[in-house]
Amino acid sequence: MAAPLLEVRNLKIGYPVWGGILRHKVDEVQAVDGVSFTLRKGETLGLVGESGCGKSTVAKAVINILRATVPGVHQQGEIIFHTTDGPVELLGLSRRRMRPMRAHIQMIFQDPFSSLNPRMTIGSMIEAPLRLHTARTRKERIDRVHWLLERVGLQASQASRYPHEFSGGQRQRIGIARALAVNPQLIIADEPVSALDVSVQAQVLNLLADLQEEFDLTYLFVAHDLSVVHHISDRIAVMYLGHLVEIGAADTVYLQPAHPYSRALISAVPEPDPQADRSGRVVLEGEIPSPLAKPSGCAFRTRCPIVRPECAEAVPPLEAKETGQLAACPFS
Amino acid sequence: MERDENAAKNPDGAAGDRAPLLSVRDLATYFRVEGGVAKAVDGISFDVMPGEVLGIVGESGSGKSVASLSILRLIPDPPGHIARGEIRYGGRDLLKLSYQEMRSIRGNEIAMIFQEPMTALNPVFTIGFQLIETLRQHHPQMSKQEAFERAVLRLEQVKIPDAAKRMRDHPHQFSGGMRQRVMIAMALCCNPQLLIADEPTTALDVTTQAQIMELMLTLRARREGGSIILITHDLAVVAETCRRVIVMYGGKIQEVGTVDQIFSSPRHPYTIGLLESLPSAQRGKDRLHTIPGNVPYIMDLPTGCKFCTRCEKVIDRCHQEEPELHQLKNGQLVRCHLVEDEAVKVSGDMPSTTTSAPAP
Ligand SMILES: Nc1ncnc2c1ncn2[C@@H]1O[C@H](COP(=O)(O)OP(=O)(O)OP(=O)(O)O)[C@@H](O)[C@H]1O
Ligand SMILES: Nc1ncnc2c1ncn2[C@@H]1O[C@H](COP(=O)(O)OP(=O)(O)OP(=O)(O)O)[C@@H](O)[C@H]1O
Ligand SMILES: [Mg+2]
Ligand SMILES: [Mg+2]
Repeated sequence: MAAPLLEVRNLKIGYPVWGGILRHKVDEVQAVDGVSFTLRKGETLGLVGESGCGKSTVAKAVINILRATVPGVHQQGEIIFHTTDGPVELLGLSRRRMRPMRAHIQMIFQDPFSSLNPRMTIGSMIEAPLRLHTARTRKERIDRVHWLLERVGLQASQASRYPHEFSGGQRQRIGIARALAVNPQLIIADEPVSALDVSVQAQVLNLLADLQEEFDLTYLFVAHDLSVVHHISDRIAVMYLGHLVEIGAADTVYLQPAHPYSRALISAVPEPDPQADRSGRVVLEGEIPSPLAKPSGCAFRTRCPIVRPECAEAVPPLEAKETGQLAACPFS
Repeated sequence: MERDENAAKNPDGAAGDRAPLLSVRDLATYFRVEGGVAKAVDGISFDVMPGEVLGIVGESGSGKSVASLSILRLIPDPPGHIARGEIRYGGRDLLKLSYQEMRSIRGNEIAMIFQEPMTALNPVFTIGFQLIETLRQHHPQMSKQEAFERAVLRLEQVKIPDAAKRMRDHPHQFSGGMRQRVMIAMALCCNPQLLIADEPTTALDVTTQAQIMELMLTLRARREGGSIILITHDLAVVAETCRRVIVMYGGKIQEVGTVDQIFSSPRHPYTIGLLESLPSAQRGKDRLHTIPGNVPYIMDLPTGCKFCTRCEKVIDRCHQEEPELHQLKNGQLVRCHLVEDEAVKVSGDMPSTTTSAPAP
């Protein structure tokens, strides 16, 4: 088995809730509540879960941008990145010491519209990380920008244009090109193909797979399209309300999910076929609880089809299942 | 998720006897860019029937968003402008309305869910403030308290937990999918007759997506003849919710049919390639099938068929002559030279019957 590249240990992220006349911190939203996982070099870990469950928060914690962008955020736990010079704990790094790490870890942001600078041409935006982290000459950089644009299905001649001149899916691909520019070791991809039609999507997924093969890239791949996640991932992790509830080999989690939440999620995958049989769906009852008032014990128990009284007592730990994955439910 | 109910009960209901809610004819929207004109939408025609959920799919950059923004006259001018066409709604051509009249249409008749939530949400105001403002604009008689309660209700309907508390939060405090749902709540506040939903569920997990689609369909049914134009690349959502689908490529409509026709007997080579690229259609494969080549830059679209540079079935004629839209016997419309023998040319780009591709 390949060596670990990234270890996330008991990560907890609390966002501040401001209140009162003086706008002070009155409470905390526990968006991520004790998440641990390991990414091995060259693998793809898919991260899925309900909207608002904390996927992007995990992603942003890994590239360590929360402290700079969310005043008052509370971060706990450890994120260990194994560089060629030994392990580095990322959460505790200052901004200055984090900067060189960005040559190795890049992120594709969920919202391409707000992550692109409207006043910069897309060419100079994609070139920026090359200028910062590599010693390439100007000519080499421009060539690389053109190569990247073409690989994501855009044209080299579009480098001089501005973000607003592109469609939603085109902007998303600009974000992908920017993250790939410096050949990082780890790419955190937050919904990287959500705005793409299936043909362009297939092209981008093939590109990610080719680069992985060639440069031994590692991906943390957040997405809601489970057929895409199943296709691209070696392993899949499922989150619910800030907790990791299941993690295991992609085929196992997708075809034989163990946690009742994963089962409901996977049974709801719509089929691209108007004649499909839709009777096998588990429809989740009840409202998503607020992260401010999480149920005691298992966070999923208020909507769980197999809930028992014991579920209210303690947060169930991840345990090994017969089918090979880890799931946080003793009754499944 | 329920399939477009009205249509299922009365599959041919759209034919002839009822007037369309919206008729788009030969709409063309161009952008002036350095070195020429970008023909983002180049002569599209279609009807939306009362009660219908019409799907629009197509290549990224094919003009879906520009077409919908054109219907609401939200194209930034300059650099863009609507070069020609007609958009008939309620007996009037929207392109001829004054700014004031258009404003009233925008809120009360036609609402839009934008592809990118942050284009519609203002980062400096709380979402409560924005929702209440929207409501009070459309219901000037509504009290602040009433508006507050209605806004909270809408947020609850789009499954935002702790809705009342979250009214005080700013857009950046929400997750990507939540922002999208807040925007959906805002569009639904106006209770529109026609909802144009541009990729409304791109950021949502499958369970939330199913709930939101159902909410949109229920609210639509509340208004007599309420209709939805659903733009999405998610073919599963199309299969589940639409009756008719339009397929776009290169600023033009390439194929129109019922969902069953499009999914089981697609005829345009682009549609065929698109369906073959679905990851679920090719489980276990290492590399996904893609349509060969890249979409040409919008300024370099070929003079003949827009798809000819990537088409596997291309013939000489395709490079010189752009095919017209042709109607097959089953009602399906296809823009491809290869179907011409078995189909009739659609005059003026759109026959009255296209609104009702007959049930197969
Ligand atoms: N800056 C912030 N301030 C306060 N709360 C926040 C902030 N960012 C996110 N949250 C909250 O943290 C929770 C998790 O958000 P996150 O963006 O991680 O979800 P997600 O799993 O990525 O969801 P989605 O699939 O919708 O993108 C949500 O309840 C969200 O409202
Ligand atoms: N302001 C603009 N200036 C120049 N070109 C533009 C402008 N806005 C859009 N375009 C071009 O118009 C074409 C159609 O864009 P549109 O946003 O309608 O695509 P789309 O079908 O919605 O794609 P997607 O699925 O990626 O959202 C694109 O090629 C885009 O580059
Ligand atoms: Mg997110
Ligand atoms: Mg679009």
